[in-house]
Amino acid sequence: MNTNEIKLLVVDDEVAFANTLSQRLNMRNIKAVPVYDGEQALSKLKESIIDVVLLDLKMPGMHGLDVLKKIKSMYPDVQVIILTAHGTDKDEEEARLLGGFDFLKKPADIDNLEQKIRKAYKEKSNIERIKTEAEDNNK
Amino acid sequence: MKNITISNFKEWFISHDLFGLLGSDKYKSLKRRIVILEVALSILPLLIVVTISYFWFQQILKDDYRNQLKWDIESTKQSIEAFLDERLSFLRFLTLSYTYEELSDYKKLSKVFYAFKREFPGIVDIGIIDDNGIQIAYAGPYKLTGVDYSNQNWFNEVAIRSSNISDVYMGYRKIPHFSIAVKKELPEKEGFWIIRATIDMETLKKYVYNLNIGEKDDNFIINKDGVLQTDTRFHGKALDKYIETPVPSNEQTVVKESSIKTHGHEICGYSLIKNTNWFLIAVIRSTPYARIPGIFRNELFFIIILSIILNTFITTLIAQAIVNKIKQTDMEREEAIASCEHAGKMASIGRLASGVAHEINNPLAIINEKAGLMKDILESSDDLQKNKYKFLSLLNGIFDSITRARTITHRLLGFSRRMDLSHDLFDLNEAIKEVVSFIEKEIQFRNINLILDLTPELPRIETDKGQLQQVILNIINNAIDAVEEDGRIEVITKIVDNNRIRILISDNGIGIPKDKIKHIFEPFYTTKEKGKGTGLGLSISYGIIQKLGGNIAVESEVGKGTTFMIDIPVKYEAV
Repeated sequence: MNTNEIKLLVVDDEVAFANTLSQRLNMRNIKAVPVYDGEQALSKLKESIIDVVLLDLKMPGMHGLDVLKKIKSMYPDVQVIILTAHGTDKDEEEARLLGGFDFLKKPADIDNLEQKIRKAYKEKSNIERIKTEAEDNNK
Repeated sequence: MKNITISNFKEWFISHDLFGLLGSDKYKSLKRRIVILEVALSILPLLIVVTISYFWFQQILKDDYRNQLKWDIESTKQSIEAFLDERLSFLRFLTLSYTYEELSDYKKLSKVFYAFKREFPGIVDIGIIDDNGIQIAYAGPYKLTGVDYSNQNWFNEVAIRSSNISDVYMGYRKIPHFSIAVKKELPEKEGFWIIRATIDMETLKKYVYNLNIGEKDDNFIINKDGVLQTDTRFHGKALDKYIETPVPSNEQTVVKESSIKTHGHEICGYSLIKNTNWFLIAVIRSTPYARIPGIFRNELFFIIILSIILNTFITTLIAQAIVNKIKQTDMEREEAIASCEHAGKMASIGRLASGVAHEINNPLAIINEKAGLMKDILESSDDLQKNKYKFLSLLNGIFDSITRARTITHRLLGFSRRMDLSHDLFDLNEAIKEVVSFIEKEIQFRNINLILDLTPELPRIETDKGQLQQVILNIINNAIDAVEEDGRIEVITKIVDNNRIRILISDNGIGIPKDKIKHIFEPFYTTKEKGKGTGLGLSISYGIIQKLGGNIAVESEVGKGTTFMIDIPVKYEAV
């Protein structure tokens, strides 16, 4: 068991999808937790430490891009990967502008997805390390 | 060579179709109308001017002819007066040159008679009458010495007025003649004597016929009692009563027009001959003035025909140019509309494809993950029995997703099967529900409250389902764009009457301003921001509903919302 287990939030209104994907990722040493809309995702982020968020776009209630905007404004280090069944080039461009780490389309290859998640985690770790070093230097 | 030229001309004529007669399409009819209107507008003033000129010219000619006739009558009258004067003067000369006694002598009188006859043709005889009316001497072809004239009018007339020209009478020879007589007083007023000559009317007729007249015309002399004094062409013989023209009483020379039933139009001129009871009359029926405008009329006719031909030719060329330009503009417009209709359809298909992709990719993603999980389990453990229920549950999840995807593809096939009009017998409420199912997600995401108030007892309708669904989808899409988050869209179906069904699609969105609402069915008109709308959706919808024999109308109030009303026949019948 990797001590640096990645903590992942799967946000998707397709319950079967979110659950199954979480199970598969868990089997790949990624601690995935499924939630089914934007509000649930934000409250989960608030109560626990999350490294990477896998985020759907078209959901009832808050749209994925609005959720992304909120996450990046509140938890800038958390990396967000968009995983959508409906992604257009325009959505992709907007997601990247809002600070999304990557943009994937459903159905996604699990190995590719895992690779992206790990890359995103690495990115987050790098940012945190740079931040810590900068703080140490300031001290 | 000639044949080739004619056939070339035929080809040219057909290809140019100058008068728009060879076809019945709207451009030919337009060209025909332009040519007819233009030619009428340019020829009408010309015809008015020509007609006025024609009648004006005819009037001038008529006046001229009347003046000429008047002049002719007067000059003829003067010739007749001179003729009579000469003879009267000679008789007067005789009364002055000879005494009563000298002329009472037969020999002397005969000598004078022959001299008189030689100088003045037409003299028949000459006689001397005393104051009792008795002819005391006579020279001439008859034996009239001793005849008593005291009861005759001319005798009484001459006794009073000293000279007289009698009316025409037949006399002994049964040919018309008249007499002239001069009175001479005897010395010391012991009475008077008269010298009288008879003149053959034939001589005078030559003067009368000197009037230059046509074959249908007539001229003659009548006396004050209306008795003909000369033979006429059409009015009877000498001494007949002249009846047709009213007997003139004016001493001036008069020319007047009259219409007589038996002869039509005629001009009548008359003048009183001095010292007589006679009128010289000319009756003109040949209307020679009408022949002169005939030449003029032919020239005018030629000018008008030439003008019409030239005008028609030039106008036709101009109309051809105008119609060609209109045709070209129309074609460009139609091409633009067709291209934008295509773009609109593509945009519509794009929107649909995007929705469909979402609907299919989601079950695919579930299948992908569930199958993936099964693979993951198999790779990590060989104990199938232990995972049997887990696998069954995963497989059920996969089958559910397959069913979900299949439902979507089947609906899609039903929705986009046909482009041309087709006749489908279907339940409108179900068709609306199908449309709504495609946009349900979007409605959910935007928290829009979509209310379906569908009358359950709606009859099944026969029309093109796909196209009607396209219209409904388009209007609901517009409503989605118009409402804010948490907005409301309502779709209502109603029965209007046995033949028509109504669909009402209302929203509580921003509404359409009054100045814009009148344009919304026009192609290329859009109120959406640039890049978002083609401006064709509603115009295509309008076209489809018209094609289906229905009506589409819109009511809107800014800030309150918009309602589209579609009336559609229960049974579509091709127009």
